Amino acid sequence: MLEMAFGQIDSLGRRFISIFTYTLRVLLMVYLSVRAAVYDQAQGLRTVVSVVSSQVYFTGFQALPLISVLAVATGAICVLETFAQLQFLGQADLVGNLMIVIIVREVGPLVTALIVVARSGTAVATEIGNMRANREIEALETMGINPLSYIVFPRLLGGTLSVVCLAFYYNVVALFGGFLVARLLKDMPFMFYTDLLANAITIDDLSMFLLKNTFSGIIIFTVCCYQGMSVKQSAHEVPQATTKAVVNSIIYVVIFNLGVSLLFYLHQLKGWGLI
Amino acid sequence: MKHTTPLSSAIHSTIESIELKNVTFSYSHQKPVFENLSLELPVGQNILIRGEPGEGTSTFLKLLAVVHQPQAGQVLINGLDTSQMSFEEFLPHRMQIGYTFDYGGLFANRSLLDNLTLPLLYHNTFSFEESRERATDLASHFGFAKKLSEKPAAVTGGLRKLVSVLRTLMMNPQMLVMDDPFMGVDPQNVARLITLLNARRERGEIKHLFLTSRDTNWPKQLGCEVMTIRDGIFECEFRPKLLKTGEAA
Repeated sequence: MLEMAFGQIDSLGRRFISIFTYTLRVLLMVYLSVRAAVYDQAQGLRTVVSVVSSQVYFTGFQALPLISVLAVATGAICVLETFAQLQFLGQADLVGNLMIVIIVREVGPLVTALIVVARSGTAVATEIGNMRANREIEALETMGINPLSYIVFPRLLGGTLSVVCLAFYYNVVALFGGFLVARLLKDMPFMFYTDLLANAITIDDLSMFLLKNTFSGIIIFTVCCYQGMSVKQSAHEVPQATTKAVVNSIIYVVIFNLGVSLLFYLHQLKGWGLI
Repeated sequence: MKHTTPLSSAIHSTIESIELKNVTFSYSHQKPVFENLSLELPVGQNILIRGEPGEGTSTFLKLLAVVHQPQAGQVLINGLDTSQMSFEEFLPHRMQIGYTFDYGGLFANRSLLDNLTLPLLYHNTFSFEESRERATDLASHFGFAKKLSEKPAAVTGGLRKLVSVLRTLMMNPQMLVMDDPFMGVDPQNVARLITLLNARRERGEIKHLFLTSRDTNWPKQLGCEVMTIRDGIFECEFRPKLLKTGEAA
């Protein structure tokens, strides 16, 4: 019985160490790719801009139709579900605060991250994985081209920029989707709705928006690049690496967002003197 | 980003000695290919590394070209331990080592022309127009200028191999490490390639050449000396400059 318990503890310890090591390696990759880009004497700004812009085009621009549909839907549902309750409580004016809390602080960063993982994270992991299998990464090294500055850094930069822009677009469209329902249900004037939002939004919300989305972008693209790079020799490893990239990105993004929200609310409660 | 020419420092870097010290190398979870291998490589010659499949000839070339790092021991170039050097520190030496893979290595999403010009453009060795001109000239010499706009997947394996070898030559390295460079390439182009290699050798542009080849006739035309790996033991049929022989597990 005791042996079994020790066995479980050992296994848990091994799992913890492996997660810790993985996290450190991913963080190291961020550092090394930024370092490589800074030290790379050959890579011109033109090369970086070219890859960054194509990454922004694919991750940001091409995702707009999908994100528009989801944003309108979530914004509309949010108002639809809460408006009746708020009216019942005589607090219909709180719809602005509610939209800011739900959309800008919580749902926006998460939905954007999930879409980016599904569309671009998989693409990046597969692309780099195939490059590894086809020895393109080794070929770059033999030509004196650092794959971290040539492959990873531009994707990381372009991907992160895209996530922030996409999240901003998502918020705008979702808030507009909310307005459509508010207009339909209560014939709410546009100026009144925007006033509610403007009064509700604070500098904390904007900080949280930037913090969550910037780091979500960094997490997604680093994890996906790392998984792609982890392919050793053959193409059959690529789907496995892609699956791991998706699963790990989602786990890390959710944990990060949850952690930020938790810290924010603890800070807020402390400010109110409740804890 | 800095906009300097990295080749400026690389030009002055000359490879004078290559040495392997107590090198142990294995692929993940497999029996070591080399264990405690120590030898000083003869420089300034054309060397054909021969061995039965699985003896580690390709792995040996990868260690020489610093494509792989050993799990234990050192690969010393000019007495400098390559495993202790960062990518940037090793770059001047790297620019003098040209390595050709036995298969793969071409960028699937780029045309043959882009594959050939990539290293020149990246390192600002030549202007865009000049790089393209050089690549086109080389392709015309080898008779595939019309295929330059094709992606690697659209051409034959032999042509992919040839482009891979020519891309290595575009950088004009002092030391060439080529893993079976003639495999699948049509005989006419192999003959052209050998002429080109010999010409560069005579001009002193290529100083050291290491290659593997299943074919024995073509390396003879390069005047290759033979080094054989048999059961992990290195045997030299020429000027013996080996310090020790290595043993494979």
